[in-house]
Amino acid sequence: MQPEAYVAHHFPNLRQQEHAARLGMWLFLATELLLFGGLFTAYSVYRFLYGPGFAASSEHLSVAAGTINTVVLITSSLTVALAHHFAHRGKGRTAALLLAVTLAFALVFLAIKGWEWSHDFEEGLLPGRFFHAAELTATGAPMFFTLYFILTGLHGLHVLIGMTVLAILMVLCWRGNYDHGYTTPVELGGMYWHLVDLIWIFLYPLLYLV
Amino acid sequence: MAIATSHAEETHEHGAGPGAMRYWVVWVLLLVGTSLTFALSRVHLPPPFHLLVALAIASGKSMLVVLFFMHLWDHTGATRLIFATSIFFIALLISLVVMDNATRFELTNPGHDGTLQLEPPGPDILTPRGPPEPEPRVDMPSAEQEGRDVPKPPPVPAPAR
Repeated sequence: MQPEAYVAHHFPNLRQQEHAARLGMWLFLATELLLFGGLFTAYSVYRFLYGPGFAASSEHLSVAAGTINTVVLITSSLTVALAHHFAHRGKGRTAALLLAVTLAFALVFLAIKGWEWSHDFEEGLLPGRFFHAAELTATGAPMFFTLYFILTGLHGLHVLIGMTVLAILMVLCWRGNYDHGYTTPVELGGMYWHLVDLIWIFLYPLLYLV
Repeated sequence: MAIATSHAEETHEHGAGPGAMRYWVVWVLLLVGTSLTFALSRVHLPPPFHLLVALAIASGKSMLVVLFFMHLWDHTGATRLIFATSIFFIALLISLVVMDNATRFELTNPGHDGTLQLEPPGPDILTPRGPPEPEPRVDMPSAEQEGRDVPKPPPVPAPAR
């Protein structure tokens, strides 16, 4: 199938259709940024109010897990970018394999995150009034863990959505749907994954390295 | 028009191998940024700078992701405008809200560290018969642990009269 076959009837040509799709994706990503922007604002206010409490709470998180997860997500972003690169050159099978690697990295990320959360549950490092850690009595610690669970939870939800999108793209790439020059879905799905990476780049120093 | 042209150039310029090389270079730079953030957090820079440096590195890393992984380097025009606008408004939101808290009279901020040690700025003109006795704070660990829903009793020290 020629790339032109993908042009919807209300677009004069494929280039304009791709441009419109990309613009729409950026608008969607902007709303995502604003969603997380509100949470980052809440974080900023409470870190300002409870600075020492946030620093003390942060030390109860595993820096090693956070750092490994950062590396994992950055590398998964690379494999997504490479997948689009190869899909763009008609190598759908290579792209599908790279997307599979990305999904594996995403699973590693979620496994580490799950281990961290279960560790937090055991220690009583829970949000708000459920907080009952005996060792940590600093003012503001429950608020830190409220924000920690909302931020990492919402981010984890985005990881799951991104994994779903990438899994569908992986199957389509493997079937050769994007071997003919039309790769906009791979690019847009990849952009969603890069956004997940982008948000984690900020979460890492703000939560783990206070 | 500029978008369409630059996209055509991108398709053209990545004819063979060098396109993928760019992603690997960005990846290495991102790893360097991550280890730099980690290393600097162990050094314990003086208070305002530890946050500023970490945020600066994170911004640099995110710019690399946005420009090269998300292709804003190649796609000019409206897509860049959307991204820049959302970043601008997030910066506006965070800075104004934090500035609001930072410029309040300290006692109005809950749990602020200075609040607990602060003397009232003058004689208590709101309470007719002198300020109330401060409640003992030592016996309230449960309120401490229940989060910030529970308002602290105002710890007003008795003025010397």
